[in-house]
Amino acid sequence: MPSTAAGSRPEDLTARLDRAAAGEGEEALLTVLREVKNQIIGNKTKKLVYLHLGAVPRIVAALASARDPAVIVQAAAAIGSFACGVEDGVRAVIDAGAVPCLIAVLSHANDKVVDAGARSLRMIFQSKLAPKYDFLKDKNMKFLISLLNSDNDNVIELAASIVAHSCEINAEQKALCDAGALQRLANLLEGSSNQKDACLDSIAAIIRKNSEVGMHFASIGTGKALNSIVKLLKDRNPRTRLLACVCAISIGHASPYYVQDLQTRTKMMLILVELLEESGRVGDDAPFALSELILDDEELHKQAISVNVVENICDCLHKYLIQPRRLHGILLVFAELCSRLEECRCLLMSQQVLDTLVNALKHDCPDIRAAACTCIRSLSRSVKNLSAGHLSSERFVVPLVHLLHDTSISVQVAALGAICNVAVDFAAKKSVFIQSGCVKQLVQLSKSMDSRLRLKAISALRNLMFLADTFAKESIIRELTISTLASLICDSETDIQHQALALVTNLVDGYVDAAEHIFADDGLIINAVVRQLHSASSAEICIQGMLLLSNIAAGVESHKEAVMSYLVSSRDDKSIPFIIRFLQNKDSLLRTAAVWCIINLTYQDGPDLSTRIARLRGAGIVSQIKTMINDPCLDTKYRVRTALEQCMTFEDNIP
Amino acid sequence: MSHFSTLRILDLIQTMATSKKVITREEWERKLRDVKIRKQDMNKLVMNFLVTEGFVEAADKFRIESGTEPDIDLATITDRMAVKKAVQSGDVLDAIEKVNDLNPEILDTNPQLYFHLQQQRLIELIRVGKVEEALEFAQEELAPRGEENQCFLDELERTVALLAFEDVKNCPYGELLDLSQRLKTASEVNAAILTSQSHEKEPKLPSLLKMLIWAQNQLDEKAVYPHITDLVKATLEDPAI
Amino acid sequence: MPVRVVENSAPSQVSGEDASHQHALPPACSLLCVGRAFSGTQNVSSFQKDEAWRVNVRIQGCDLGHGYLCGTMEALNVPLADTPVVTFWEGEIVDMKNYTFYTGKWEATPENDIKHWSKFPAFSSLSSQVEADGGKSLDLSNYPYIFMRWKEQYFVNVGTDCGLTIAGFYYVCFSCSDGSVNGFYYDPNSSPFQKLELKSTNEGRLGFTFSSYQLQ
Repeated sequence: MPSTAAGSRPEDLTARLDRAAAGEGEEALLTVLREVKNQIIGNKTKKLVYLHLGAVPRIVAALASARDPAVIVQAAAAIGSFACGVEDGVRAVIDAGAVPCLIAVLSHANDKVVDAGARSLRMIFQSKLAPKYDFLKDKNMKFLISLLNSDNDNVIELAASIVAHSCEINAEQKALCDAGALQRLANLLEGSSNQKDACLDSIAAIIRKNSEVGMHFASIGTGKALNSIVKLLKDRNPRTRLLACVCAISIGHASPYYVQDLQTRTKMMLILVELLEESGRVGDDAPFALSELILDDEELHKQAISVNVVENICDCLHKYLIQPRRLHGILLVFAELCSRLEECRCLLMSQQVLDTLVNALKHDCPDIRAAACTCIRSLSRSVKNLSAGHLSSERFVVPLVHLLHDTSISVQVAALGAICNVAVDFAAKKSVFIQSGCVKQLVQLSKSMDSRLRLKAISALRNLMFLADTFAKESIIRELTISTLASLICDSETDIQHQALALVTNLVDGYVDAAEHIFADDGLIINAVVRQLHSASSAEICIQGMLLLSNIAAGVESHKEAVMSYLVSSRDDKSIPFIIRFLQNKDSLLRTAAVWCIINLTYQDGPDLSTRIARLRGAGIVSQIKTMINDPCLDTKYRVRTALEQCMTFEDNIP
Repeated sequence: MSHFSTLRILDLIQTMATSKKVITREEWERKLRDVKIRKQDMNKLVMNFLVTEGFVEAADKFRIESGTEPDIDLATITDRMAVKKAVQSGDVLDAIEKVNDLNPEILDTNPQLYFHLQQQRLIELIRVGKVEEALEFAQEELAPRGEENQCFLDELERTVALLAFEDVKNCPYGELLDLSQRLKTASEVNAAILTSQSHEKEPKLPSLLKMLIWAQNQLDEKAVYPHITDLVKATLEDPAI
Repeated sequence: MPVRVVENSAPSQVSGEDASHQHALPPACSLLCVGRAFSGTQNVSSFQKDEAWRVNVRIQGCDLGHGYLCGTMEALNVPLADTPVVTFWEGEIVDMKNYTFYTGKWEATPENDIKHWSKFPAFSSLSSQVEADGGKSLDLSNYPYIFMRWKEQYFVNVGTDCGLTIAGFYYVCFSCSDGSVNGFYYDPNSSPFQKLELKSTNEGRLGFTFSSYQLQ
């Protein structure tokens, strides 16, 4: 049997390598190298065996000292194979100093030698572990351009791989563009199919998220380069179609001027969906390109519905065993598609993917867990889904709550996003959330050092508080505590203040006794609220604060009186009350909120009503409202009328 | 609703049936003459067929006669055919070495092809009755591939099953020993080499003929015209009215 | 990934001013925002008998940018039903951007549309324009009434065998000044012009209260 015959076991071959190098001559070396090469190509197990035997440094040494072109070819091929598919192999090859040796080989006179060197280097540069090529060094850039200008296809493809591997930051993209690399790559798009792929890959790297360079590319040959890309969208080769899509998407994002028409974008969408059927990398990468293509593009989301994108992707999900990377991509596509249009959400809900989603929440891979959360977040933007309770069942809430403890912070953030929406619920009991430990963990996260977590946790609690019953409200507030809530109202982040105020507004709505919490601990919360109203520069905060005061003012007499005391100071304070500033504000929503507060204060006859109206009048609030009788905002105008009617009823009775 | 729409469809079918256009042979031939196909394009198609299928001598002769340059170095065809021949004659190891000399990336980046070649090696060992060697080979070379990929494992199990039968003709997977299996593997290698050379895996001519049949089927719905049924002779048949 | 808030139901967010839209959206009204409740009756009289159900409505979602409104509708004292029947409905706001006065579905012809809209006094000043160009030239952004279609989507608390149908939909006219809702149920298979009359309610509180959620 050939592979185990005497002398061809890996141990024997490694020993023979040493003997040949020590002086048996190049002919013996050639035989051994060729044999090793043929054993390891395609065979990961063998590669690992040779790695452990330390064969790589020996082969690199043989390459460095070889003179016979045939030996160089075999050594280079073996090195390339070690760098293919095995991470340890890439490391060993790099550590043994293969890269400079192989680069030296590129200037060999023999074409076959150059081919072998270029192929081997390309294998290395296809790995993430390969050293970063520094384009910003003048010498390096010149060398790279010389490779690109070579007439050897393998060398050109190598240069393209180096660009695709190493070009990351804006400065590098710009430098490659300025040095003419982009132009050259564009010209090469006419070449052989392998060359096309390599060029597309590197063009994508150069123009990615760089609008200046993207626009430059689009202008090459007055649009000739762009046309080549569009043509390649229809290429026979799936990988070429994928890469052409990726480039076209980058250019589209780079400049709205070159954004393709809806027809082209739809075509690209269909191409990418079709590519999902491809096995391997092309199929794995396709959904990522697709999610980029449809990003924030509502028009395209609509198209997606009419050309059955959701159904087709779901078919793939049900038909094949989906690899993790592809699943990650598909979940991102779903999340994006459902982010805006109700119709997409309905469609996805009807496609029996909920099991897939629940499983994805428990997947080993954090990216998939996060993507599943994002997908649930998008689906739960639908009030229809929320109201039907499809997503707030134990089936979803329990694993989501579990993810609040995830070790990956991005999973935590994504899970919070989903919980925020799902917590809206619309069922008053909110029992799943209280029993699953969700509230407890949200309260913990609302004290996090990370302001992102704090914001999302308080937003979720605010949504949970929305239309909740008394029991649920009390459970939440007991866990959260008055002092934490007061400190969140005064948080350094405006968004967090806003959410905290909204939470308190929801607490008081429909639950009069909750006002006791607002005034508890010497008015810890109400004082924090009023402090914000005095000092806040953001209209958002003031509006939310006024809605909160309106809710309190819709309570019993003593609550109305308490609100009054904050609106109109009893002492001879000559400063303008904040409510007057709000009534005069240019933001109509703030004006309306302030008027609502007055409406509630004067809502119904009570023992102190006439005194309250008198005090409002005394503070100049009534006369301010009178000036608003023809407010340009319709809503404000009608509310002003209601407020005035209520105040005037009493004016008549005043002597 | 449904009653109304059925009527509509019947209506449409009737209109279509009565409105089929008839194109006479003369008219059709005139139309065909109006379509100009460049001689070079026809030659390219022929060359593409010869090159892809590996008829190197014919390709060379055709190059000299028609002046059509092949889109690939003819020398590579010889290499490719040598690999193909090696698989067809059962010398798989030789084929693997030849592929690796041609381009080491082919088998390194194509696990399925690599597996199929190794599987073919196993089949050849079984064919000549080297049972022990076959088992050892399956264990050492193929089992690790099976661990990497479930499909490979299934295929491996089927192949090893050949060993369990005294008379392989009774084995449900006996067809693995057929020559057609060698041809299948050979054509897979052939395709992979072509791809690595940026060449299409399949010649264009057969897909053009498929397209012709498809187009005729489409047209049948709308018109009556001279058909081509015999693709070898490509004779126009008079329209049957 | 940046968080994009697509829907914000707090009254502070429902400003619909967006220069990119061809048509200015209908006015945001704080009486037609999330959490608000309405109560009243639906007249279901037929030739045989006079009958009216008590009806409660609560707004659950509002997205003026997409002309979208939704909520639940609860019918009390429904004959033969032992519990109140709750349905979930979705509304289309006639804003000339997302939706026009013409329904174009749900078995409603333009004639049905005009016939129903015309029953609202607030429509009379618009009818000539609507009949002339479909209302394309109308600017409803400062009109004190908001026209909508409410279409029930599913039963929340009972099965489809509850003896009621949600095949039809409501033509609705909302008054921004007092928050009252008038509507007519349209379903070719139900008795015509069933009238819905609702008033904004503060559910026994001593004033109007607000609550809101924010979707991420």
